Amino acid sequence: MDDISKGLEKAIKVIKIKVSSSEQEQLQRELKEFLTWLEPMLLVDTGQTEQQFFGHDAVNVLRDDHPRQSELAELQEAAPKFAGGFYLVPKILE
Amino acid sequence: MELRKTSIHQAVEAVQQGEITAFELIEKTLKNCSVLDEGLNIFNSIAGIDALEQAKAIDQKNEKGGNLPLAGIPVAVKDDLCYGVLPTSLGSAAFNEFMSPVTAAAVERLMDAGAVVIGKTNLDDMGQGSTTLSSPGGPTVNPWQAERTAGSAGAAAVATGICMFALESDSGGAQRQGASHCGVVGLRPTTGRVSRYGLNTHCSSFARVGITAFSCENIAGVLDILSGFDERDAATAVCREGITEISKIPNSDKLTIGYPVNAFDFLEPELREVFEKARDEFAERGYKIAEIDLGLLREGLQAYYVIALIEASSNHARFDGIRFGKTGESEILEEMYQHSRAEILGKEARRRSIFGTYLLSKGNYDQYYRQALKVWKMVRQEFKKAFDQCDLLMLPAAKKLPRLLNEEYSFLDEYFEDLFCAPVSLSGMPALTVPAGQVNQLPVGMQLVGPPFSEKTLLALGSWDTGTGPLSQE
Repeated sequence: MDDISKGLEKAIKVIKIKVSSSEQEQLQRELKEFLTWLEPMLLVDTGQTEQQFFGHDAVNVLRDDHPRQSELAELQEAAPKFAGGFYLVPKILE
Repeated sequence: MELRKTSIHQAVEAVQQGEITAFELIEKTLKNCSVLDEGLNIFNSIAGIDALEQAKAIDQKNEKGGNLPLAGIPVAVKDDLCYGVLPTSLGSAAFNEFMSPVTAAAVERLMDAGAVVIGKTNLDDMGQGSTTLSSPGGPTVNPWQAERTAGSAGAAAVATGICMFALESDSGGAQRQGASHCGVVGLRPTTGRVSRYGLNTHCSSFARVGITAFSCENIAGVLDILSGFDERDAATAVCREGITEISKIPNSDKLTIGYPVNAFDFLEPELREVFEKARDEFAERGYKIAEIDLGLLREGLQAYYVIALIEASSNHARFDGIRFGKTGESEILEEMYQHSRAEILGKEARRRSIFGTYLLSKGNYDQYYRQALKVWKMVRQEFKKAFDQCDLLMLPAAKKLPRLLNEEYSFLDEYFEDLFCAPVSLSGMPALTVPAGQVNQLPVGMQLVGPPFSEKTLLALGSWDTGTGPLSQE
């Protein structure tokens, strides 16, 4: 297994998505194509250019922090399973 | 009242003067909706009784002298913008019945102004794409040619005359390309002008809430209502300048339009001809044309995709089947996550999540992500430099005519179609798609791009009559 295929397998595991073996084979091919497609960007001479992290150059002004009413009841309604103030998941401890 | 031929201003005036009630207007819209939507697949859900109830409430306010600026105006809302009254599918079959506990800030502002949401429009798999071909409910058909995709369902809703405007999202260009493919007008505003609160985005850095309408005049009226600071979106700006009045087209002798020659080399000759003609027409009207160089379009597109995929892998992490959506069947936690996420994320969303995670992993982070962030900066600098030579830029909106519904294509073909839109998204500048001409009886749109907060100029220039816009089509 080459490095790209190993990396792909690890990525699938990390993000916890069920992928069939045929889909994984297809993703391997596609990832290689995608990385080849990105090559012109890798060749750009970025020199001393800094990284851009935000979609704008404005300076953030922080607002005062005030306590507000909790939205727990609304969030509870949107959850598949919710009880006693907690989201319910399968037990991991006996 | 025929919505296709009526401006928002005229329709509001008619409602306020009692020539038509908001109820009648919405009732008529819903009837049109059921007839015109058949076969086009524009809507994921239609408001029906809820919309009529809202219209009734607006009529009551109107009787009491309420002066709502969008009284009774029907709007279609893309299904990645949360709206508490209708399900918000986000482009996933697992969310078809999901009722969001919040309503998007932009939708709230429209409703406060008297607009009535008539339905939620179709979108690609988790909103990722510019064709609707990956939508779990199937693609939206182009109203101009039934064998082609519309690109964006909101644009199709406007082009068919179902509604007077649509609220959409745009990251890499879905809204702008849809407007081009359907022959309508689409504005992606400056970063920070419109709140993104309640927009489910796969790509936080580039997703914006945009407006699609039949005319620039209609967009201007709506943009005024949507613009401004919202404490729930820390990146919003205070916007003091009103945009509603755009009737004064900028003095041609004072305006220079940038023509990036290299950009048009990517187009097929028949498409290039449309833009050459538009450029010549601008020149004939007295606008100065400056040939400029945008040398990083392709690399900017690639940087966009590195960042967008990485952000998607992070944003999709919340879709675990525990807090909302459907829970996958399993008594084992790890398997439950895997099943839930496989059900929620379609093929394209899975691909982007997985590739994004790969690009972020050790060894790849510096090579791809850091480089993409630097190219992002360079693209922004390139656009800023361009505006030292011109006031506005003209660019194509789409690289090709809308896709045939049965066309075979690869995911990279689809990514490459964002060539002219994604770099503009990186720049953070506003872009307006307007009809520029036709090829094979299909509309072709042009992007007008301006410096930050130049929407008023863009809309004024965009309102020029090309003679090919949908208003001149029967």
